[in-house]
Amino acid sequence: MEIFAFLPNLLALDVLAAVFVGVLIGILVGAVPGLNGAVGISLLLPLTFALPPEVGLLLLGGIYMGCMYGGSITAILINVPGDVVAAPAAMEGFPLTQQGRSKEALYYSIFSSMIGGVVGVMVLILFTPPLARFALQFGPAEMFFVALSGLIIVGALSGSLWKAAFAVAFGLWLSTIGLDQISGADRFTFGERDLRSGISVVPVVLGLFCIAEMITNIGKRASDLVQYRDQQITRREVLGDMTRHKVLLAKGSLIGTFVGLLPGVGTTLAVFMSYAEARRASKTPEKFEKGSVEGIMGAESANNATVGSSLVPLLALGVPGSPTTAIIAGALVVHGIILGPSLFVNRPDVAFVFLYGMLLTVVAMGLIGAFGIKYFAYILKIRMDFIIPTILVLALFGAYSLRNSLFDVLIAIGMGILGAIFKRVGVPPAPVVIGLVLGPMIETNLSRSLRISEARGMSLPEYMLSSSLGIGLLIGVLVLMGIVVQMRRRMASVEAQVEASRKGAG
Amino acid sequence: MTRITGLILGASFASLMASTAIASDYPTQSITVIVPYGAGGGGDTVARIVSDKLSDELGVTINVVNRPGAGGEIGISEMAAADPDGYTLGVFGYPDNFVIESTREVDFNSDEDLVVLAQFDNMPMGIFAKPNAAYSNMEELQAYASDNPAALIIGESGALGLLNALAFADNLDVVLTDVRYGGGGDLLNALLGEHIDLASTSSMSHDPIVDAGGVPIAFAASERMDMFPDVPTLRELGVDQVMEVGRVMVAPAGVPDEVLARLTEALDAISTNEDMIETFANASLPYAYLGHEEVNEKVEASNVALGAVIEAHADKF
Repeated sequence: MEIFAFLPNLLALDVLAAVFVGVLIGILVGAVPGLNGAVGISLLLPLTFALPPEVGLLLLGGIYMGCMYGGSITAILINVPGDVVAAPAAMEGFPLTQQGRSKEALYYSIFSSMIGGVVGVMVLILFTPPLARFALQFGPAEMFFVALSGLIIVGALSGSLWKAAFAVAFGLWLSTIGLDQISGADRFTFGERDLRSGISVVPVVLGLFCIAEMITNIGKRASDLVQYRDQQITRREVLGDMTRHKVLLAKGSLIGTFVGLLPGVGTTLAVFMSYAEARRASKTPEKFEKGSVEGIMGAESANNATVGSSLVPLLALGVPGSPTTAIIAGALVVHGIILGPSLFVNRPDVAFVFLYGMLLTVVAMGLIGAFGIKYFAYILKIRMDFIIPTILVLALFGAYSLRNSLFDVLIAIGMGILGAIFKRVGVPPAPVVIGLVLGPMIETNLSRSLRISEARGMSLPEYMLSSSLGIGLLIGVLVLMGIVVQMRRRMASVEAQVEASRKGAG
Repeated sequence: MTRITGLILGASFASLMASTAIASDYPTQSITVIVPYGAGGGGDTVARIVSDKLSDELGVTINVVNRPGAGGEIGISEMAAADPDGYTLGVFGYPDNFVIESTREVDFNSDEDLVVLAQFDNMPMGIFAKPNAAYSNMEELQAYASDNPAALIIGESGALGLLNALAFADNLDVVLTDVRYGGGGDLLNALLGEHIDLASTSSMSHDPIVDAGGVPIAFAASERMDMFPDVPTLRELGVDQVMEVGRVMVAPAGVPDEVLARLTEALDAISTNEDMIETFANASLPYAYLGHEEVNEKVEASNVALGAVIEAHADKF
């Protein structure tokens, strides 16, 4: 295997240092609300110009891997996800913290992240060429169906279906604001230049999740929120329990890997899909949203798996699927590395060191994460009086740093206030983000399908179902609808049971 | 002379000296370069490469700041509105500014609000065919397109992408169906997955496309590119169409003459820097430096030509 020829390159001191430092920065960046992987990577991008290509690339790759995990730390401890991909970790992990099980939640999170990360990178290493070709088959029709399935998943989150539907509709409406690419029309921009580029996801996430959380916490005493006396749990116990959930972890990693392949929304969609699936297959669905480690396992394994798979189209075809991978592409281009099949032929040294180095990033992440947990938990000891202003400031800076735009800060604040109101009224914030992210995908793919079908002389339904992949996806959408309907029935009956037993006991 | 008069005279004299001193000592503090695109893209890369060398030459730090949005409109508006003191500059891909201001209402007017300092690279747009297409060169493409009006789908992204596609269809006297894409990545995906037939995109995509089996039909360049000697230019094939993206550095209009002189002098000085030229080559960016005078000539001429295409297709914008 060629890798042995490059092993010395891989185990060089500067490469290993890049891996470690990258992951460390990634975890920190992911944990701090307001910063996310793309910001961290773009800040360090200029630095990589001066470094040898493999070192620079692994620095960025380490950040990418680390930040997928980092967001879950603050999500679990203070219900503030550092990034939208950590939202399920907040939904399940924070109740656990409130029950004094924060360390347990953190361990589940790091170990699931490691498993997902390894699966994603291994798929990257072993299956890049065929996977890349598979990803290419997703044209406008197929992406439309994928986006549709994303919307349906919202139904799998508990609570009132009407409120969730409202939240999704709100998110979809938000996504229409701005200059429409296809028609060239200004929508809801009111003549404001800043609104032309639309509402970005990051300020909305910061507002709805972080700022809203902090606003609702103002005035509460810390003792109302968390229990400091943390129950003791060992890593071995957690690992032992995880071996009983092998199927769940495998599904999470695979969902993350395959959905993460898709450009644009892969990661967000993958996380929520895996979380919804964990809930569907769970034998204890009533625990969800009250502290289910299965939810954490599903979500965290999926989001780290997307790191490896989202790099597949980039390395195989030179096609970046997300802003983060686009920045990594920029780093490669400056070093004269041509992406595509010739990468492995022209620069095998860089290609192999990068691929196997990503495996090392999972190891580094595991080490820093698992041993750092006892220090992370100290965050809980900080008084809420200090946490609230710090998080608020970080969130506002984070909103600004996305595009150096004060307008984004205003959006974050506005969403924060709205989010606090939503919390009061019981409208879930996650569907808003799902709608915001999927809206453009649905619209542009539908309009492209319309134009293409016209040119091809087919009617729209004919075109949408012209490939077997398209037909398969449509069937998948219908099956998904059936599953969600079933899940809601089960949730309703479980709730009815709980009500009945409470009435009986009372 | 009373003390007060003396003080006033002295103060004004001193401040006069100070302002000329500031101008002639330019730069005395760090400079910001605005890039109206996201990090990692072509424009951003050029800005960073140039800023790196320019900062060495001028002796101050240069901070590259990304201000993406609305296809470049947001960042360009900011450049135009910045204080003309020489401490805020911008780098973008011409003719994004011209296309944006010609096709919608914006806050800036390049002629009045911006001064173009220099151009660094010149990337022609190209027409590429999908893998397994029924045509592998211009002739076959033209024949197929004539026989099947509106059947061929050309994907485009970026301001110039659309103009290039429209002009191409006009010049060949065929009807193509154009589909808009938001970014080069999406467009490549669609072309390589054979969901569209042609792509109008810059020469930067040449290698990924060819590697995956796509075919470059022609470049809208003024002469054959050294980087891709096998690809003909549209001119060679009898189509007079030149559409190139040139990354330029600009300053807000109204910068003092001394500052302008210092900047253009510094840019001329780094233009022959071998390291920088090599970095451009490594990044597949065709290096083509034009100094202050030449770039303004080019921009004027190009604006006229592009303006004509935009007017001919006013309904598209």
